[in-house]
Amino acid sequence: MQVTFKIWRQEGPNDKGAIRAYEVDGLTEDMSFLEALDHLNELLVLKNEKVIAFEYDCREGICGQCGVFINGRAHGPLDNMTTCQLHMRSFKDGDTIVIEPWRAASFPVIKDLIVDRSAFDRIIEQGAFISAKTGTAPEANAIPIPKEVSDRAMDAAACIGCGACVATCKNSSAALFTSAKINHLNGLPQGRAEEHKRVAEMTFQMEIEGFGSCTFTGACEVECPEGISVINIAEMNARVTKAKFFG
Amino acid sequence: MAMNQLFFRKTIIAGTGLFLCIFLVVHLSANCILLLPEETARGLYNSYSTTLRESPLIKIVAYLLYLSIVLHVVYALLITIRNRKAKPQKYVVNHSKENSSWTSQNMGLIGTMILLFIVVHLANFWARIKLGMGDVVGLDAAGNVDVYEVTSSLFHNIYYVIFYTALAIPLALHLHHGFKSAFKTLGFYHKKGLRMVAKIALVYAIIMGVGFGIIPFIVYLK
Repeated sequence: MQVTFKIWRQEGPNDKGAIRAYEVDGLTEDMSFLEALDHLNELLVLKNEKVIAFEYDCREGICGQCGVFINGRAHGPLDNMTTCQLHMRSFKDGDTIVIEPWRAASFPVIKDLIVDRSAFDRIIEQGAFISAKTGTAPEANAIPIPKEVSDRAMDAAACIGCGACVATCKNSSAALFTSAKINHLNGLPQGRAEEHKRVAEMTFQMEIEGFGSCTFTGACEVECPEGISVINIAEMNARVTKAKFFG
Repeated sequence: MAMNQLFFRKTIIAGTGLFLCIFLVVHLSANCILLLPEETARGLYNSYSTTLRESPLIKIVAYLLYLSIVLHVVYALLITIRNRKAKPQKYVVNHSKENSSWTSQNMGLIGTMILLFIVVHLANFWARIKLGMGDVVGLDAAGNVDVYEVTSSLFHNIYYVIFYTALAIPLALHLHHGFKSAFKTLGFYHKKGLRMVAKIALVYAIIMGVGFGIIPFIVYLK
């Protein structure tokens, strides 16, 4: 299998950067997308060229480290999937594949395809945790939680923080990420004690990080590897209002 | 905690948007008078518009309406500027159509077309009738200001008919996305309810688009 990669190359945060084309042969359709990039990097090493910088960790679709814009879609052409779970069988022999880093003012490019997502960490620092000391794990049935409530919290908690929502959003809004983190904790009795403070501070941090506002295009939900629903954003909006009055 | 601009601005846009949605229902209902036979339509349309102009309640609603349009536009402009800043560099290749509707990606552009329409529309009617600009508007047999004549003569100009009909398309698109999104922005997060809202939004947008689009044409053919 042979493809042409058109990849964003950028030396550092202050470099201008540009798309560069690489023709790569010897790929198989069983290769994962990241393996194809590994293969390209090996060829570059042999040619004594600088390798393409891209992020990954688990390559199992659970860590949220990988993530690039592939042919005009966050995490590639398939819905609800991480970049590492994408395989070359999703492309045809002779295809041109354009790879770009996440684009957002709040996610500055560090190098090539790697962006700085620490804005997410700073949102998390504003209260996406429970501040009480919990000691060892308590008995599982000590706090009864209805199944629907725990399911909804789990669905929100599934967010792996990859940043595809911000990347695909035309406004670079972090609303899906922030709402998932808020609803995960605020839906549960353990998180309720600090619910209003959490909503107010996390959404405020989201704002000062320079993310845009949510205009409900729904693109994030389609690109989210965990399929987190935009209804979470509507729920966060309700929680913001509630926090204004009762916080 | 400081005021949360992202939410405040969106709330204003959603709230004023929904208020304007209600206004459009009233407006289209009144437009339906134009579908009646000539003489009945003239009498009814003119007496209806006179009643509106003389009602103090409608005066308050009218000011609310102007305010809503201004706020809707100003805040939309403010969030658009911020949103553009949040994504300074665009993608070389972006297939946004595969994950979202064209309408939802272009509400600003569609809204600008509607704003252009509103300006022309106000110049056609509001400026002539309320401000007395242009040709003097006569009275009908019952002594009411002959708004029907203004409407009818305007819609016997094919260019205006095409303009009014064509601009009903962006209106329908804008309403479809705006109506259902406003509920989410205002914090309505009931899953089944939102599915219902999406259906209502579609039906509402079709009725408004077809209604406002077809009436000038029917008047033209009368």
